Amino acid sequence: MTNDKKVSELISKSLRYRLSEEEESQVKDSLEQSEEARKFAKLSQVIQESVTHAAERAEGGDTSVAPGLSDDAKNRLKLSVTDAVLRNSQATNAASVEVDAEETAEGSERISDDARTVIGMSASLTSTVPPTRKASSMFQIVRKLGEGGLGTVWLAKDSKLKRNVAIKEMKMSALESPKAWFRFRREAEITGHLEHPGIVPLYQFGVDSKSQQPFYAMRFVGKRTLSDAIVEHHERIACEDHNNLRLHRLLGDFLRVCQAIAFAHSRGVIHRDLKPENVAIDSFGQVIVLDWGLAKVMATAELGMQLLLEDETLDDGLLAQTMAGEAIGTPLYMSPEQADGDLDAIDERTDIYGLGAILFSILTGHAPHEKTAQSAESGSRVAAVLKSIANGETPTPSDAGVCIPQVLENICMKAMAKKRYARFESAVELAEAVERWMAGQTDRAAQYETLRMEGRELKNDFQAGVDDLESNVRFASLLPPVQELIAPENDEQDAVWRERLATIFTGLMRAKQAFSRIVLNKIVDGKFTELVRVERHSRDRSTVRKVPRSKLRTGTANQFLMTTLDKQPEEVLCSLVCDPLCEKGERCDEPHLVAGLPIYDEQTEEPFGVLMIDCDLDSIFERQMKRSWTAVEIVAACDTFHTLMQAVDGKLVPEAQSVPVSETQPDFLQAIEELQTNLEYIDETNQRIYGSRLWLIEKVHGLMYLLRLPDNDG
Amino acid sequence: MDIALEDKTKVLNPENWVDEHGDYLYRYAWSRLRDSTGAEEVVQETLMAGVRFASQFAGAGSERGWLLGILKRKIIDYIRLRQRYDRDGASFEDEADPTGQLFDANGHWRTGVLPETPDSKVASRELWDVVRGCLNTIPKGQADVFVLSVMEEMDSDDVCTQLGITSSNLWVRLHRARLGLARCVGHKWFAEGETPKHD
Repeated sequence: MTNDKKVSELISKSLRYRLSEEEESQVKDSLEQSEEARKFAKLSQVIQESVTHAAERAEGGDTSVAPGLSDDAKNRLKLSVTDAVLRNSQATNAASVEVDAEETAEGSERISDDARTVIGMSASLTSTVPPTRKASSMFQIVRKLGEGGLGTVWLAKDSKLKRNVAIKEMKMSALESPKAWFRFRREAEITGHLEHPGIVPLYQFGVDSKSQQPFYAMRFVGKRTLSDAIVEHHERIACEDHNNLRLHRLLGDFLRVCQAIAFAHSRGVIHRDLKPENVAIDSFGQVIVLDWGLAKVMATAELGMQLLLEDETLDDGLLAQTMAGEAIGTPLYMSPEQADGDLDAIDERTDIYGLGAILFSILTGHAPHEKTAQSAESGSRVAAVLKSIANGETPTPSDAGVCIPQVLENICMKAMAKKRYARFESAVELAEAVERWMAGQTDRAAQYETLRMEGRELKNDFQAGVDDLESNVRFASLLPPVQELIAPENDEQDAVWRERLATIFTGLMRAKQAFSRIVLNKIVDGKFTELVRVERHSRDRSTVRKVPRSKLRTGTANQFLMTTLDKQPEEVLCSLVCDPLCEKGERCDEPHLVAGLPIYDEQTEEPFGVLMIDCDLDSIFERQMKRSWTAVEIVAACDTFHTLMQAVDGKLVPEAQSVPVSETQPDFLQAIEELQTNLEYIDETNQRIYGSRLWLIEKVHGLMYLLRLPDNDG
Repeated sequence: MDIALEDKTKVLNPENWVDEHGDYLYRYAWSRLRDSTGAEEVVQETLMAGVRFASQFAGAGSERGWLLGILKRKIIDYIRLRQRYDRDGASFEDEADPTGQLFDANGHWRTGVLPETPDSKVASRELWDVVRGCLNTIPKGQADVFVLSVMEEMDSDDVCTQLGITSSNLWVRLHRARLGLARCVGHKWFAEGETPKHD
């Protein structure tokens, strides 16, 4: 059964619409039974009649319906009307003259009615027309430059000053909207008050005498925007054209945007729609921030007070009225507080987010919320994007899948922090952070160049050692005792030749401090037999000893010996091996650099054995690390990714030897991967790590040097 | 070359508008907005627009009628902006629901909540004064809907479009406005004088 509350709704409805029979019946029953229902119906009827009657009387001019205008109000209105009529007539006059003179000119014109009233506002309306100074202008429209929601921008020619200007004109469709008028005039007012090299200078505000469209003329800064420059930069990167200079230029432009915004903030103006498209770059690299149509003026700021005094309707509160609950700005670059429609939360830090979003775009080539927009369903795209911006995680530049200097990414993320308090305090602070990074980059670039030089130097030094080893093993192989020992006539002769060869080897060892062993091996059926061995004492490296025959070794020849034996005469095999039989890939505590050369029997021309010179890697690295290096860390690694040597701050770390590089320094892993195929690893992004590859056997076997600079903390 | 504005202004005579139509437009605006500042503002905007768009005056109707047409648009614009600014949207409307005071938990009228009805034959100035006063006691969001709907006789769809509200929201507001007004007018009528003067 319908209760009184429901019936009261039907009574309300009946005052405007005819009810259905069933509804009428319900109302009738209720009116019969309930006194309160009757009272409500009656009261509502009386009120409605009273209101309707008052409306009719008001339309009929009945003075009893409402009070009339006060004398003060009438004077205010008369002044407004007189002023408006005056403006229109001036515009009309200007139009008459100018249009007549330019009847043959092609295209349309925009003629300003900008008149400067010099009479005080208290002047009586009944007095004569106040003296004014007219400033009329005529602009010849050349072509359209762009179009936005509120207005169209034209390239025009100032007929008087003979210069190109840009004219922004309010769209016809927006003329009837007070909000649009307000915003358009607001934009002109704010732009006109912000005199800064980074903010477009405004020449004139006026109303077209023919169409009544408001417009303003400003400096023509060209069509190229920061957005175009960013697109070009990333297209070049895609074509493998990496040039850090371009990034630095873009960051230079970004700094100038920060400075312009910092200036606006100092005048109490918040842009609220920062994006690369709103930053023009002229032919000479000057950066101009455009489109202040959504700007907010803080009421407490000097400019806010000024605008307020000049015209109360310019109070930002009105703009706030028009936008309460609406999202202001471009969604792709919008801050969470804007997306949330929280007007009270908008302050300078909203622009800091916008600046961060521009930096994001510079670094990645994409708008921060581009992915969000793409993933949103088209039907409710804007709402979904706004919701995601307001409630979701802030995107990070590295999400875009491009290499970005870590410090710049950190700066970007701080500027775009979801919580306002976590952002940079000011545009100046943000600019300084970027500037510091850029300044550091200049030093960094020099440092990195030095690092690369050091990396190449280490590699070349090692290569020189390898070359020396190879030439010495060749030299040693040609010594006469070698051939004599292949087929000695008797034991006595054998002993003599062994002694002679050992003596020569000893001399060679003494001359070459890096050599730790020279051995002549005879190899038969996969078994080696040492014929002569001279070696350096393991602890006292100044002592070189001939190994007596009783201590000479025999055994199964390892892979290195067998591979060397298969080589052509005079062909040296140089490799990192373990002694005696450590295979590649196995843990090897003391890898050696060994050069081997097959010895052929000159009589039979059959391979006889291998002459081998063993070089102590530690001594090579120790010698190398005695120099001072720019690198804070140097690692030499073999192909199995094991550390051959690690030096931190110029000091060797013995415990790191033979440990996988992933355990000692994971930062080097990417470099190691790349050095599997390339001779160099260059860290273009962070300029921190350099790697250099040295092949002992071309494309098969070798080692690599990895160098690291200290972190650049910007 | 003659400009339309010059010709039309001779016909329209804007300099006399304030004297000839100012009070009329103001009263009209005031009766709808119930706010002297707002009424003056919309009248000013009307006169400015009249000057600006004088060339669009066809001359078919009266000057006053033409200005009234502009004023009606300005009033709607003003109410729309005021509604957005006041932010007394859904939550405030909910709080301003008078049904709790008029009905019990079962939806039955509370006894004695509504006084006797004034004489329905009179459409007196006094009654209008009371109604106008009561329009200021109910939430603006409800009062504006009531005024646009009853005074301006705007179509429901138009009201919804202009104020950006749904049809159901419109009906809820209208009904609450009627309940609130009934309660207020009834009490004020008898509180302010047992024997009201009628025209």
